[in-house]
Amino acid sequence: MTELVLQALWSGILTGSSYALIALGLALVFGTMNVINLAHGELVLLAAYVAYTCESAWGASPLLAIPAAIVIVCIATALTYGLVGRIRRDRELNSLLLTYGIGIMLTNGILLIWKADIRSTKSAWLQDAIVFGPLYSMRSELLFFAVSAALIAGLWWWLTRTWAGRAVRAVASNRDAAQLMGIDPHRVEFVSFLVAGLLAAFAGAAIFSVGVIQPGLGISLTIKAFIITVLAGMGSVPGLLVGALLLGLTESLTTTFFSSALQELAGMVLFLVVLFVLPNGLFGTRWRRAH
Amino acid sequence: MLELSDIGVRFGGLRALDGVSLSVAAGEIVGLVGPNGAGKTTLFNVISGNLRPQRGSLHFDGADIARVPAYARARRGIGRTFQIPQPMHTLTVAENLAVAQRFGAGRVDAHAAEEILDLVHLTGLASRDAATSLSLAELKALEVAKALATRPRMLLLDEVLAGLEAVAKRRFTQMLAEIHARYKLAIVIIEHDIETISTLCPRAAVLNFGQLIADGTPAFVFSQPDVVASYTGTVPDA
Amino acid sequence: MAARIAASFAFAVAAYALVPFAFSGNLYLMSMIVAALTIGGIALAWALLGNLGGLVSFGHAAFFGVGSYASALLVMKAGWPIGISLLAGGACAALAAVLMLPALRLRGPYFALAVLAYAHIFRIVATEWKGLTNGAGGIGNIPRFPVVLGYDFSSKTGAYWIVLSLVLAFALIYAGIRRSHLGLALRAMHDSEDATRAVGVNSTLAKASMLFLSAFMTGMMGAFNAHYINFLEPDYAFSGLWTMLPIVAAIFGGYRTITGPLIGAVVVYLLDQLVFKAMMPIGHQIVLGALLGAMILFAPQGLQSIFARRLPRLRMTSASGDA
Repeated sequence: MTELVLQALWSGILTGSSYALIALGLALVFGTMNVINLAHGELVLLAAYVAYTCESAWGASPLLAIPAAIVIVCIATALTYGLVGRIRRDRELNSLLLTYGIGIMLTNGILLIWKADIRSTKSAWLQDAIVFGPLYSMRSELLFFAVSAALIAGLWWWLTRTWAGRAVRAVASNRDAAQLMGIDPHRVEFVSFLVAGLLAAFAGAAIFSVGVIQPGLGISLTIKAFIITVLAGMGSVPGLLVGALLLGLTESLTTTFFSSALQELAGMVLFLVVLFVLPNGLFGTRWRRAH
Repeated sequence: MLELSDIGVRFGGLRALDGVSLSVAAGEIVGLVGPNGAGKTTLFNVISGNLRPQRGSLHFDGADIARVPAYARARRGIGRTFQIPQPMHTLTVAENLAVAQRFGAGRVDAHAAEEILDLVHLTGLASRDAATSLSLAELKALEVAKALATRPRMLLLDEVLAGLEAVAKRRFTQMLAEIHARYKLAIVIIEHDIETISTLCPRAAVLNFGQLIADGTPAFVFSQPDVVASYTGTVPDA
Repeated sequence: MAARIAASFAFAVAAYALVPFAFSGNLYLMSMIVAALTIGGIALAWALLGNLGGLVSFGHAAFFGVGSYASALLVMKAGWPIGISLLAGGACAALAAVLMLPALRLRGPYFALAVLAYAHIFRIVATEWKGLTNGAGGIGNIPRFPVVLGYDFSSKTGAYWIVLSLVLAFALIYAGIRRSHLGLALRAMHDSEDATRAVGVNSTLAKASMLFLSAFMTGMMGAFNAHYINFLEPDYAFSGLWTMLPIVAAIFGGYRTITGPLIGAVVVYLLDQLVFKAMMPIGHQIVLGALLGAMILFAPQGLQSIFARRLPRLRMTSASGDA
């Protein structure tokens, strides 16, 4: 019994690491630009399909596909940024609709190019089981957990130790003040979109290597990233990591003790619980208003 | 009519209001003064229901209104204006009043609305869009008109004269006196202008750093050393 | 005023009489029109929530699906008559919206996504709760519309009249609210909720009631569809298409007006089915996504704003004008 729980916890942590990458990308863009990119999940999926193509066309490991995925996804995010930037009025709302439209285009584009079949990696090396005591995992899961951890650490370093990263944080906390300090918010927005794309590319390769992909996956990834954001509460980056882990754990525990069909539902229920009980998320600042 | 007892509000480490107790009788006009940051608007927010205090109790008309939401307090008779006028932009002046009457007073009364517009000198502007074409003085008048349309028994005026030049200020003050005479409501008015307070309010309360430091006639209050000190930062020679 | 009445009458005659007269021979086209009007009804409900409630939703499929299943199950398992079941379907969808009330606290984009998440939840529940919904297997042989006064309403024309009537009823309700004091208050809330509360408007209740109304309308559309198609399964009833098509329709036609979403629905749906699908059997909705993007960038107020730029705008009094 404990073994089952431990295994579930272990799997959950591994899965959560990929979710963290997705959620961080979404949060980064939202922090600097106040825009929720509803097509974010589709970008991750795009990267996953690029990985698939690299593997099926050239037999290359999905890892090698990452550079290609980064390039393609970053081009897509740059285009998205260009379009979103052209919105003149009501940016918060119109950007939602615009990215929703972009998401539809991406999903259908993926459908057109790669058809509706479910794909997954054929690499035996990646699917190899690695065992630590009672804990079992696929090599791909471990690998990408390490990659995610490295990326998150890198992101933290970038945000806190480099001038570019500090500029991003400045714009995210107070756009006008940042401008007065000579920071160009447009460049910062562009950079945050690109970084989000970078994270999405890795996440996409991870998802392809670890599981199965199909065109409809995009929207559910976006929803999961959103659930994590709600779990974390507004403006809390460590909260995002905890939220991602929490979601991963919830899903794997549900799969272990109930059924895998319910795992998506479990995540949603978690979201509802937080919404009802802790509307500011686990780490959000408490509101003072009387309503 | 209004009883505040030991109200305390904290924003993180800052004590915006620290044990404020105040009573306002029906029909009374009270001036609320104090330096910037003293907690005056915060106090209004507590009374109107926009802010919940951590400590203390409030009673209006004998009833405990601590748990009553803002819109319900408006219906019970607490009207307020905002420091920065917040008209319902996309509506006309007349529509602003109509909404306030319909939801705040319970029914739309064109005659009463006309009377209010007349009192605040906005009669010709009834069909103007609130956002686009009103001057600051007119916006402030609309703030008052909106609040009056809810048939309040107490009116909270938050720096309603701020930004107006001298002539407009005097007209406005005159207008407030007329409103008080006509509707016999209690008025609590936040103002910086000592002359206005002295003319309009038989009673003034002084707030400093979240505490009530004086309460009495304007003449009395403004001669208190600690009141003067709170404004000038120094204690004058006694 | 008289001109308006005459125009409305002419429109009613055209809609109820001319359309079936002209097209009832072409069953394919009629079914396209019925489907387009179904989408139009949802688009109208979506636009109502956006305009009056100030809330954008990406999860209207949830209400549609709940209404579909509720009506089908009430008729098949509890023996309710079909007309009442349509209303019940709407009511159940409104009840589902009650679950969304906590999400009202969330700011704009967050609310939109929360509703999207709810839609997913309902779809999964419908798939897993096999005892109630028969899960992925779906429900078949859902009873058709009955014969009333000798006319068989399960025919294409009959269905057309039903959905047309529903949509027109929705439009009238929408117009009525917009003109009322509640409509004014709702508009005012978009600028400053505090100011409206200070004059006694229960803003939370006002927004919530718009959510319930929008859900109710969408649920009725779902219920109608269930008895029209006579088959339901979770992936169909809760399909993202029931969210996406109405949104594209409303934005295309102009979501600030009442006729915009309806015209948009007819145009967009017919274009999609008759033109785009013919060109690209798979993935043809990519054009819809592009259309949505283009509209947001170039004409966020919809088609009507493109035309209005050419024609002089009449200054309408605010009380009767567009939101």
